[in-house]
Amino acid sequence: MTNFLEVKNLTMRFGGLTAVDSLSFKVEHGTIHGLIGPNGAGKTTTFNMISGFYTPTEGQVLLRGEDISGLHMHEVARRGVVRTFQHSTLFAELTVLENALVGTHMPFRPNIFAAIIGWDKEDRHGAEARAKEALEFFGLDGLLDEKAGDLSHGHQRALGMAVAYASHPDVILLDEPFTGMNPEETRQMMDLMERLKADGITILIVEHDMQAIMGLCDNITCMSFGKFLAEGGPTEIRNHPAVIEAYLGGARHVA
Amino acid sequence: MLELLAQTGLNAVYAASYISLVAVGLVLIFGVMGVVNFAHGELFMAGAYAIVALYADMHVPFFVAVAIGLVFVGCLGLLMEKALFRPLKDNPLGGLVASIGFLMILQALAVMGFGVRMEHIPPVTQEVIAFSDKVRLPVARLYVIVAALVLLSALWYFLKKTKFGWALRASAQDPEAAALQGISITQTAKIAMFIGAGLAGIAGALTAPLVSVNPHMGHSVIVTAFIVIIVGGVGSLEGAIVASVAYAIVHTFVTTFYDGVLADIVGLCLMLIVLIVKPTGLFGSADRA
Amino acid sequence: MPKFMIWIAALAALIALPHGLSFSQQEILVFLTINVLLVASYRLLTLTGEWSLGHVVIMGVGAYTSALLTKKFGVFVPVSMLMGGVAAALIAVLLSFPLFRMKGFYFLIGSFAAGEIIRLLWKRFRDPFGGAKGIKGIDPMPDFSIGFYQFDFFEPTSYYYFAGFIVIICLWILWRIEKSPVGLTFHAVHWQDKLAQASGVNVRAYRTLAFAIASGFAGISGALLAHYVGTINPNAFDIDLMVFVLTWAIVGGTATFYGPILGCVVLTVINEIVLRELGLEQMRPLIYGAIMILSILFLPNGLESLVQKATQKRAGNGAAQRSPAE
Repeated sequence: MTNFLEVKNLTMRFGGLTAVDSLSFKVEHGTIHGLIGPNGAGKTTTFNMISGFYTPTEGQVLLRGEDISGLHMHEVARRGVVRTFQHSTLFAELTVLENALVGTHMPFRPNIFAAIIGWDKEDRHGAEARAKEALEFFGLDGLLDEKAGDLSHGHQRALGMAVAYASHPDVILLDEPFTGMNPEETRQMMDLMERLKADGITILIVEHDMQAIMGLCDNITCMSFGKFLAEGGPTEIRNHPAVIEAYLGGARHVA
Repeated sequence: MLELLAQTGLNAVYAASYISLVAVGLVLIFGVMGVVNFAHGELFMAGAYAIVALYADMHVPFFVAVAIGLVFVGCLGLLMEKALFRPLKDNPLGGLVASIGFLMILQALAVMGFGVRMEHIPPVTQEVIAFSDKVRLPVARLYVIVAALVLLSALWYFLKKTKFGWALRASAQDPEAAALQGISITQTAKIAMFIGAGLAGIAGALTAPLVSVNPHMGHSVIVTAFIVIIVGGVGSLEGAIVASVAYAIVHTFVTTFYDGVLADIVGLCLMLIVLIVKPTGLFGSADRA
Repeated sequence: MPKFMIWIAALAALIALPHGLSFSQQEILVFLTINVLLVASYRLLTLTGEWSLGHVVIMGVGAYTSALLTKKFGVFVPVSMLMGGVAAALIAVLLSFPLFRMKGFYFLIGSFAAGEIIRLLWKRFRDPFGGAKGIKGIDPMPDFSIGFYQFDFFEPTSYYYFAGFIVIICLWILWRIEKSPVGLTFHAVHWQDKLAQASGVNVRAYRTLAFAIASGFAGISGALLAHYVGTINPNAFDIDLMVFVLTWAIVGGTATFYGPILGCVVLTVINEIVLRELGLEQMRPLIYGAIMILSILFLPNGLESLVQKATQKRAGNGAAQRSPAE
């Protein structure tokens, strides 16, 4: 059986520095998978390689057995793997609805000739319906005409996910979705992720804060200094001596 | 043949000298102000007209006229900084448009003051250094070469060894951090504009007796300077000088052995090739664009 | 007043316009009409965030293509105009390979260099481009009649109607593109190309598409110019005209569809009509330059921001307008 999403011997070197060193792990279909590790562990680099932002120096990213490493970001997206960005990366000058409409680019690919003549009415309606559906899912349906840049921080995060969700993805990659959120917002965000999972979407979360995603993830991969450290369920990871050592060591290091 | 090569080489050195004076000024302004000064060619033109007015018409001694021209054009630079670039600090495209507006004003003033005809300036010196029968370097050209060497060395010393130079480089790299260090951005901007404009002015003043001075002479100068700073990597002074020399050699040789239009085409093609291979220029870094 | 009434009134005004003007003003009106298409096509290019300095040369590609097709192969003029647009679009696709490796200032200068190369090729190769003197005696648009009106293309008024008709169709197409999902994707590419990519947008393809479409319409405007003036040369498409296009767009503002058109019309009227009438022939560039500086200093969001303010006041708190501060 081929695995759904698999990372195999993934390696990234920047000049002399090895940011990620021969990392391998698997993500099961329909699960929420966490990728954690102390600061500088190479999580975001891994994330960027999976999403097509970086081309790995060595190794593969396999989606349903197909090697997608080294593809452009939009090609990765078209295979159903859609990423979000750290912070609030949005089309700040566009409205909330327009942001979500960009998200529907893949299911409703625009055609310029149809658009000029006006033969794309159905597609436009379809795209708008999908965009509104995605916004409703994230509780943004009351803010359609607001400028994305004017939204509150929490709403901007939700919109970022709505844009990704609008494209009917199989996998959503989330880059530190809880940074800068208060407990209430964090709880809401977790609810949304559970609902995405219930919708059949596989989620891979990159997170620094281990506690935040303990209750959420089905499986967790922990890495440290670019290397694989441990893998397992939340309880297993929480009690794993190497993980505790890495985080405490990291904490000591910071202190 | 050897003599022709030597003579063309001398011509290339002369061309490299005034091109690098203009290009270095342009780079300095871009580096510190972050604005593309389209009027830089007209600052060159203003320097040339300073010679027309002072030396040709009022018979001021040549080198005094050059010095006044330098200061005059430097002050034009200060004016641009205060009236245009400082208010448009956060609007790089606006700075570009404003400099185009300034260009048109300078051109119009030149037309109104001197007319559109070519100005012929009496030669400063007829002396020629003859290396052989066919290899000759007019002393007027030597002035330009010497000025470039002296001024660019002085600028290098100023930038690398003095406190002002350090402040200038710091604010070119990271204006916010520089401001935190207590460097006055306005102060460094003024210095950069004065030096940058002054270099263009002195290049125009020194070459005035050697070329035909007219209100539209800035055009080809700015085009050349743009090519050079792009090839060198925007923001890199070393790059601008290296690229000036390379461009001058290629252009002079193609002009001598083929023709001027082809030389322009070759120069532009070389620039495109550099950009295709290294989209940030030879000495440029990716973050400044 | 219903919306279509406004449009009919505007159309009637445009039809009546040349009758109140002198011959030379009618000629300026023809150029203005052509330039409106040029600057509107330029805006489509800026939608993806790139500012080109090669647009006027691309316009020239359309002019040269159309002129040569009619002269050498006897192609029917309106068809050759269309072919001029197609040729310009194809050249743009070709140029996109080197140019889209660059961004920002490098793209600006790279596009300028690419344009200069094309222009210098026209200058250098007398066959078929006619060298520095260019191409003379280009076939005019053949006269025809539509029953109630006889088109006589030696009259600027006739050519104004003809060019106006074509420009309006082109503007309509440009408008449709901008308001379509394709136009939205252009905006997306401009504001956040990374996020657009993550949404599956092939950013490179869309930038090329915008460049090609913009160039195609610029080519048509060039062809319109060539068959009106009857003679073209490399200097007609030099950086001076490009600077005008750039300033029309920036002074007008590029946040709205009409901004650059407004800039083009207002600045042309000031420059060509008002200043000439005042007898300030020599001072024209000086005043023009001063106006440019003043408008960029005091109206950084362009003339369109004045219109937006006025319409918003009237419509109360109407739909939120996009006004990116560029």
